[in-house]
This record gives sequence, structure tokens and C-alpha cells, in this order.
Amino acid sequence: MIHPLAWLIWLAAELAVLSATRNPFYLAIAIACAAVVLLCLRRRTVDAPPMPLSPLRFGLVVLPLAALFNALTVHIGRTVLLRLPATLPLLGGPITLEALTFGALNGLALTGIYAAFVVLNGAVAVRALVGLIPRAFFPVAVVTSIALTFVPVTLRHWQQIREAQAIRGHRIRGLRDWLPLFLPLLVGGLEHAFQLAEAMTARGFAGAQETAGARRARTLIAGGLLALLFGWLLWLGWRQRTLGITLMVLGGSAVVASLWWLGRQRPRTTYRPTRWYPRDSAVALASGIAAAVFLVAWPGLDRSSIFFYPYPALAAPGFNGWIALALGGLLAPALLTAPTQRAWLFRRTPGEDEVLKRDATVQERSKVGSMPSHALSVAVRQPDVECPPVPTGEPQ
Amino acid sequence: MMRAAITRWVIYLTSASIGVIAFLYPFFLPMLPKEAVMGSAHAQDAPLLLTVLVGICFAALLVEAQAQAGSAKMIALLGVLVSINALLRFVEVAAPGPGGFSPIFFLIATTGYVMGGRFGFLMGALTLFVSALITGGVGPWLPYQMFTAGWMGMSAPLCRPAVRVLRGEGTWREVVVLALFAGVWGLVYGAIMNLWFWPYAVGPQEQHWQPGMHWTDGVMRYAAFYLATSLAWDAMRLAGNMLLMFAFALPTLRVLRRFQQRFTFTYRPMEQVGI
Amino acid sequence: MIIFRDVSYTYPGATRPALRHVDFHLPEATFALVVGRSGAGKSTLLRCVNGLVPHFSGGTFAGRLAVAGLDPLSATPRVMSRYVGFVFQNPEAQFVLDRVEDEIAFALENAAMPRQEMRVRVEEVLDLLDLAALRERKLETLSGGERQRVAIAAALAFRPRVLVLDEPTSQLDPQSAEDVLNALVRLNHDLGLTILLAEHRLERVLQYADHVIALPDTADGARGVLCGATREVLPQLELLPPLVALARQLNWQPLPLTTKEGLHFSRALAERIPLAPPPTAAPRHGEARLALRRVWVHYDQQPVLRDISLEVQRGEILVLMGRNGSGKTTLLKTLVGLVRPTSGQVWVDGREVTGEDVATICRRVGYLPQEADMLLFADTVRQELEITLRNHGLLERDATIEPLLAQLGLSAHAGRYPRDLSVGERQRVALGAITVTQPVALLLDEPTRGLDYAAKEALSALLRSWRDAGMAILVVTHDVEFAARTADRVALISQGELIAEGAPAEVMGASPLFAPQMARLFPGRGWLTVEDSLRGLGVTDRP
Repeated sequence: MIHPLAWLIWLAAELAVLSATRNPFYLAIAIACAAVVLLCLRRRTVDAPPMPLSPLRFGLVVLPLAALFNALTVHIGRTVLLRLPATLPLLGGPITLEALTFGALNGLALTGIYAAFVVLNGAVAVRALVGLIPRAFFPVAVVTSIALTFVPVTLRHWQQIREAQAIRGHRIRGLRDWLPLFLPLLVGGLEHAFQLAEAMTARGFAGAQETAGARRARTLIAGGLLALLFGWLLWLGWRQRTLGITLMVLGGSAVVASLWWLGRQRPRTTYRPTRWYPRDSAVALASGIAAAVFLVAWPGLDRSSIFFYPYPALAAPGFNGWIALALGGLLAPALLTAPTQRAWLFRRTPGEDEVLKRDATVQERSKVGSMPSHALSVAVRQPDVECPPVPTGEPQ
Repeated sequence: MMRAAITRWVIYLTSASIGVIAFLYPFFLPMLPKEAVMGSAHAQDAPLLLTVLVGICFAALLVEAQAQAGSAKMIALLGVLVSINALLRFVEVAAPGPGGFSPIFFLIATTGYVMGGRFGFLMGALTLFVSALITGGVGPWLPYQMFTAGWMGMSAPLCRPAVRVLRGEGTWREVVVLALFAGVWGLVYGAIMNLWFWPYAVGPQEQHWQPGMHWTDGVMRYAAFYLATSLAWDAMRLAGNMLLMFAFALPTLRVLRRFQQRFTFTYRPMEQVGI
Repeated sequence: MIIFRDVSYTYPGATRPALRHVDFHLPEATFALVVGRSGAGKSTLLRCVNGLVPHFSGGTFAGRLAVAGLDPLSATPRVMSRYVGFVFQNPEAQFVLDRVEDEIAFALENAAMPRQEMRVRVEEVLDLLDLAALRERKLETLSGGERQRVAIAAALAFRPRVLVLDEPTSQLDPQSAEDVLNALVRLNHDLGLTILLAEHRLERVLQYADHVIALPDTADGARGVLCGATREVLPQLELLPPLVALARQLNWQPLPLTTKEGLHFSRALAERIPLAPPPTAAPRHGEARLALRRVWVHYDQQPVLRDISLEVQRGEILVLMGRNGSGKTTLLKTLVGLVRPTSGQVWVDGREVTGEDVATICRRVGYLPQEADMLLFADTVRQELEITLRNHGLLERDATIEPLLAQLGLSAHAGRYPRDLSVGERQRVALGAITVTQPVALLLDEPTRGLDYAAKEALSALLRSWRDAGMAILVVTHDVEFAARTADRVALISQGELIAEGAPAEVMGASPLFAPQMARLFPGRGWLTVEDSLRGLGVTDRP
């Protein structure tokens, strides 16, 4: 299992690459990497959650739509396919091949972004995602944990309420008839919340500390945001580029620093920290290189092929072998999630497979009841091993 | 207390401004002279920059909202309400209703209205987050959804002065105010989501910049985009939100108010009276 | 260890104080039972011990109290959590996370305990409560008893000196309740942990308690709080389990608390009375109001009910008992149409209703589910009854509503918010909501959960009055004493099949699991209640 943070880094790199270029070769490579990773994942995961929509179907719908929309609304380019009467508002004018291609490339990038997120959903268990929430947002993480824990309870209540109202002769005929089902759910939930709050208080749960330090941190955040806003306005409106950017950086750092400090204020330890193994570093490094090549100008590297635009005239896109190689770094998770052969290369968590299998069989045997399988299966049946239950802030 | 209130309003207003500029960015970008924009080589970074900026704003708002919702009672209350609301989203996902209709906005608006702006913000943002988690779909649009839904919850207390003026607490007048609020936000939500999404869909703007192109062209293109893709969708959301308000608001408000007492109370040690 | 000095407390917005001049001293390492009627203030008392009252609930507090040397009033619940562990009634609403081990560690993480220390504590607590086999399981896959043990484990993670439990077994079936109580007894005996327990079903737990704290009825302020050794306090209480009630009546000393102790006395008495044959069941006549004929029900291809044939006559109370998971609830649901039988027929009032829609059947058959609260959502008690009438398309007439409210004893509460009422009153509102259509039959699923002895007696009397008016009543319950008082006939079900059916004395008398205390004391005589025994022994009731 790869550390959730490493997955996030991978995702960020994919997103950066897909947003930074419209070169069809690079786009295709990035999407292919994501696809390979996805396939490896589905083979490995014992209990894959149902994908709402596969990236392939997403692409089949979005690509033509984006191409069409762009072709119909942007009338720039030399290769004209057909000409609509100019009297039509917005649509009138030449429909060019360049516009069509550009739209298609946008659609391709979108599909890639979607695929990257599908990978994330399949790779990182729900509770592990919650565990990634930084410590400054601890109350938010606890709320999310409680909400996830309450989903099966709420479903069970719903079932009981439906039956209870049915035996009072309740029938659903109109919109108003949902009220006798919704209100007991709400009231029951509120009463449960009260009891839960009591239990949490009895176990020593401390709310957010309203210390003077916390207030100062928030003031700093407010100041940082102001600096951010004015820096941006200066840059955009008054063309003070350096001053604007400096202010923005200062403001941004102030906010981030306050958040980090607020996280430090709440001392917490972790019972089961997710360990960071060398393979996680490998994934992070490979993804970082791929993103860096696309975002930063490196001396000695010809990056012109990245900025491919079909306008004003369609030409063959460039291709730089080194860049393509760097992009291959996005394949790292696929190479590293096949553990059996690689056991001698990287240290594995002992008993990982056994725990996965055992967890899966336990889920099979325990009767969860007749619930909408979709929600419950995702909320309940994630085989998450070694996941911190609540936020850590940094891997240990 | 004054300083805390000022801090709070500064955070609200600055994040609102940054948010507004961020999503109107594509419109006025063609207007800016070339050297103001980060040259064509970095043009694609604009969406990334916007994402980072909006992310910082969101984090700041979260921290501010947490300050009120820090006790065990509030956390438990939020947790349970978010759980119920996230499950309601299944109504939209599993049994696709007409258009963009989503039942989640009803609770976001009513709880924000009764319990306050910060509670409403957390309710909106976390409903979207948790429902994404349980439907197995954290998608690239999630942060924007969280932010926008949070804004809806946060602005719900703005209805309170209107209801007070109409002296309508507990009557159909209150329902009308809330229904208007929810309806308008149904449209605004869709519009904002599209605005966020648009740069991704249509790519960087400067490429089409030509001398003589005016910012109204951008607006026109956006209007076309909106009409083509989501006006019908959003109209259904508007209608759905208003319908839900008319049907369910009064009983729900009664329930929420009944429980509000028990949840927002804090113990003051001075109240020890002999009996 | 725990000292209360003249403690009084009123909830915010309440007219009467919940606690009035409570004064007692509890030494260390005792297993203390807190008894009293519903509404007497047991929960409030328990919450004073760890500071939840008044820090969590508000209100006005007077008096002084000390727990393990600390004052909960000035130390907040946060500090008290290290010294006092608290377990609540509802096994579902106490958990933040979804795994056993994570939940136990959650409080420790919040306290920023070093990791090594956390691991040691979690291991020791898992062993104490016998949860090591369940550590990786998700909480919602556990039974109620296992979940309560996890709650106890989580409370013990801080190594507190006092463990307080507010009716921990009231939502559990007898087997789970046994597990939980055994765990508590072990903790008290092996670790010397002070345990403070509030419980309605005294017969299970009296034998373990060495101290009893009895709270007076709020209505009757004559008696103050009693605290002392079990055998001293018990004779002064009004509501007692049958064995103790009989023992007090017959003046057995020292007061027996278990069947074993009671047999010592009862054998001597019983020898003098000749063995009379137990009364046989009255011959059954009349038409069956409810009937299941050769019903099979499957769930996920597994048979839940196998070839069941059961009849409930007009004017009869049939009690159905059986282990957890034996199909009792499914049987009730089949009768009202919530579950469709795979084969077989369901008859109501002489008409076959198999496969009919639930709302139609429920006009003639009332069904009270286990979670009666799920029924209630209106603003007033009266509205609840009106809503049912409206659902069925019947006219809402005061002529139907008022007498029913009076019969249920709810006339004074007709305008109140149902969820604000006590457990027993809420149940009666739910009963009203389903009987307002004047059904010919009534089904009740575990109606005695969370009720004290007085409420159970009132329910029993209500059911008997309805039976006398001609209703057919089917009750599913674990509560053997309640069955003994109420049943005309008893049926036992196991693994979806009826294994016994007949007069209560026959079916329950000899069974080791289902025999009431009187039947165990005087085997083979068919005496089920205290009145039966007194009559049989020829003793008249002393005033």
C-alpha cells in the first residue's frame, strides 16, 4: 500500500501536467500512465468500490462535446471547414479545424483529470483520506469521521422509520408525504448527536481552544488575506508586477504559517501512524520530476513543445524525448504496487495481504442488511490497513 | 470581542473578493495588456494560481468557522446533520431527478439560518465532502462545490433581518423568504460552478485575444456556454429548492429551534443558587 | 470515595428540581446499584459524578460533592474523565470512529499520550473486556452487548477509579446483558474498581451489588435518599423483583437475592403444601383473529421462518419468546405485511390478507415496533393520534380520541411535545397512535425495554383491559416476569420453528431459560407470580 500522501502528490503532479500543456502527445502519455495505474489498482484491491463512471465513457462524452462547443463559438484559424451565416449571434462565422482540435484537446485534458481522480478514489480508502486532513482542521476531521460512522446508522433508522410509518397507514402520494419520514430521521439524529456529545465529553474530548494565541493567529490570517488581495489587485490592475507578487507571497505565507501554528497548538499523538516507506519517496520523487519539467523553465531543456497551440494554423506538434521520459515518472505507482516480485527491493508491511483477505471475509460474513449497496459498500467495505483514524499532519 | 468580529468580517470580505475576482478572471483577462499577464509561456498556470488562491481562502474560512463550532456538542451536531444531508444526496445520484435538483440545499439553508453563518458554512462544505466520499467520487469539481455550498450556508442568516421586518417568524412569510433565498442560490450555485469550470473546459483565453476584442465578447461566450449547458439544469434546481422549502420548511424549523436551546447552551459557573 | 453533601439540581427551564438534598457516602471498591422510578433522577445523579451535570446540561446546582478527592464542579468533565469512566444507555450513539481499536484509542490520542503508553493501555483494556478477538472489526457489525463492552473499554482506557453506567443493558437482549454484567462483576472483583450502576431490571443484578442507593419518587418527597448495604435498603423499597417481594412478605431473613438463596427457604415451605397439578389451559374457543398457516419466509435464500402455523384468538394474550435471531420480529412483520411470505397464508379476522398492502392491514391490526420513537413526529400527543386517523382516511373525532387518551393516562399530556415525555409515556403515545383505528388485534415487539416495574405493571394492566374488550394480542418479549403476569398462552420459537405452545405454567414452568423466579422457587406447581405463590401457600396479603 502506498501512503495516501504519496498518492496526493501523484495526483497533484498529474493535474499540473494536464493543466499545463495542450500537446496531444504529452496529454496522451499522461493519460496512459493514469490508465495503467488504474488497471494495476483494480487488480490489486480486494474490494474495489464501484466507479460512478469510467474514464473511458467520460472521455467519449466530453471530448466531442468540448470539440463541438469550441468549434462553434471560436472562429479563429486558417483551415475553414464550413461557414455559418455571420448573422447568427455568436455561432456565425467560419468553423475552423483549429478550433475543433483545440476543443478536442481540452476535452482530452478534462478526461485525464477525471481519470486521475478515479485513481485516487480507488487507491486511497475513505478513512485514509480523512486522515490526511491537516491538524489545524481537527474539528472538521472529527465531524467527517462522525458523519461517516453515522451513515449506516442513519440508513438503518430510515428503514425503521419507513416501516413504522407504513404501519400507521402512511402512503406516499405527494411531496408532503415525505415529511413523516424525514422529520423522525432529523429528530432521531439530533437526539443521537446529543448523546454522542455527552459521550465525547465524558471521555475528555476538548473542543477548540479559544486561547489568545488562536485569536492572534486568526488576525494574522485576516491580515494575510488582505495582503493577498491587494497584491493581486496591484498586479492585475496597476501592473505592479514585482510588488504585487511579493505581497501575494507574503500574504499567502502568513496564512499558511498561521495554519501550521494552529495545528501545533493542539497536541495529539497517533495510535497507528501510516508509515512512509522508500517506495512512497520513490513515487513522490518521480511525480515531482514530471511536474517540475512542465511547470518550471529548466536551463538546457527545450520546453517549446509543451506550449502547443493549433492557432493560427494547424501544425504538427513538437515532441521532446526527455520530457516524455520525465512524464513516465507518473507510472511509478503502477510499478510499485505489485508487491510480490518487488519484495526484495522494498520493505513491505508484514501480513498486509493476510489482513486484507481476512478483512474482506469478515465483511462478507457479517450481515450488513438490505441497504443500498452503493453507499454502504463504499462507506463500509474499504479494506484500510494501517490507516490513522484521525489527522496526523505529517507522515512519521 | 470587537477585534474578533472585525477579524471575522475581514476574512469573509477578503475571501469573497478573491473568490469573485477569481471567477470573473476569464472575463477581464483579454482586457489586460500582455505584460500584465504572466507571458504566454505561463498562461496555463492561471487556473492553477486561481486554485491555490481559492484554496487559501477556503482554509481561512474553515478556520474561522471552526472557532464557533469547536465544542463536542457542535461537532456531534454537525456530524449527524452532515451524515443525513450527505445521504439525501443519494436521492439525486441514485434516482436522477429532473436536472440539477438536489435535496441537500434545503438543510444547508435551514441550518445556516437557524444556527448561524459559520455553522451553515461548515454544513455546506462538509455535506459535499462527505457525500463525495460515500458515493466514491472525489472529483476535480469538489473543492469548488464545497466552497460554493459553504457560501450558501454562510449567507443564510441574511434572511433573518427580512423575516424580522416582516414579523414572520413561524409563519408562511418566513417560508417565502427562505424559499426565495434557496431559489436564487439554486441559480447562483449553478452559475458559479460553471464559472469555475469554464476555464478548464475552454482553455486559456489569451490565445484568442485579438486586437479589437472586447470583454463583452467574453461575457457573450460565457452566456452561450451557460445557456447551452446549464440554464435548464439550474432552473430545475431553483424550482426544486423552492418546492422543498414550501413543503418542509416550517416543521423543520420548529424541530431545529427546539433543539437549538439544548445545543448552544454553555455552563456559567456563577449560576449556583441554593434551593 | 464518592461523597454527596446536600446536592440539589434543577434542569434549565424545569419547574421542579431533579435532585433534592441528596446526601450519601459511598466507600471505595463497592458495586453500587442506583434504583428508583423513571424520572426519579437516577441519570442526573450519575451525571453529577463526572461533572456532566451541570457542565454539559446547564441549570442550577447547589451542594457539594467529592469524587476520588476531586470536586467535579470545579474540575470540568475533561479532568474528571481521568478518574471517572462513563457508559451510556444507547450502544449506537457513543462512537466517533468505526473500528474497535481506533475508538478505544481515540480518547488517548486526544490526550496526547505517547504512543507506547497508548499501545499498552489499549492492549490491557482489550484483555480486560475480552475484546481481543474483535479488535479489527467494524463497530456496526458487532452486537449490542459487544458494543457496550467496547464502550466500557473506551471508558477504562484512562484507568479511572470509578466506572459509572447509566442503564447499559436496557437496550440489550438477556444474553448480551449477561455478558456485560459479568464483565462488570469481574472488573469490580479483580481490580477493585468502584462501580455505580443504574438499572431497572433488578433481578439480574441485585446479587452482585453490595450497596444500593435508592432515590425517592419525585412525587413522594417523604423519604430521602437511602444508601446502604443491599439487604438493609431493599426491604424499604416499593418496587422489587418477585423473589425479594415474596421474601419480604414472608419475612425471610437474611433476605435472599438469588434463586439459590431463596430455595433454602422455599423448599422448607413447599414441603408442607401438597403438590397440586398445575392449572391446565382453558379450552380455546372462538374464531382466530390472527393466523399464520404454514408460512415460510426466506431472506437471502436462508429460511427465517419454517412452516409456522400460529393462531391468536379473540380475547387472548399470546406471548412469544425465543432466543435472539430466532425469527420473532420476522413473524410479527409477516403478520402485518411488512415481510412477504415465500409460501403460506396470513389471515386476519377471518380474511386472507397474504400479500396485501401494509396500510390496509394495519387498519385492523396494530403493530408496535421495537423502536417506538420512530413513529412519533407530530408537535403534540393529540396530533399523533389525529395523523393516524387521517392516514387511514377516517374522521378525526374527539369521540374516538379522548377516551383513548384517558385509557392510556395521557389526558394531562395531550398538548405536550411527545419526545419530551418519559420512556413509558412515549410508548403509550405510540400505542395510542396505532390503536386509534380500533384494531381487532395488537402486536407488540419487546415493549418492556427501558421500563421500570411500575410502568411494566401499568402496561400489563392496559393489555389485559384490552384483551377483556375482545382484542387479540400477541406480545414478543424476553421479559419472563412480564410474560408471567400477562400471558394467557405462551409459545416458544427457535430457529424459525415453533417448539412449544400452551399454557404459561406448562411452557415456562420447567424451562431453565424461561422460568420466572416463582417457578424456580416452587418447581412443578405452576405458580408464576408472587400472588400465585402467596395464594398457593395460603398466605393472605398483609396491608
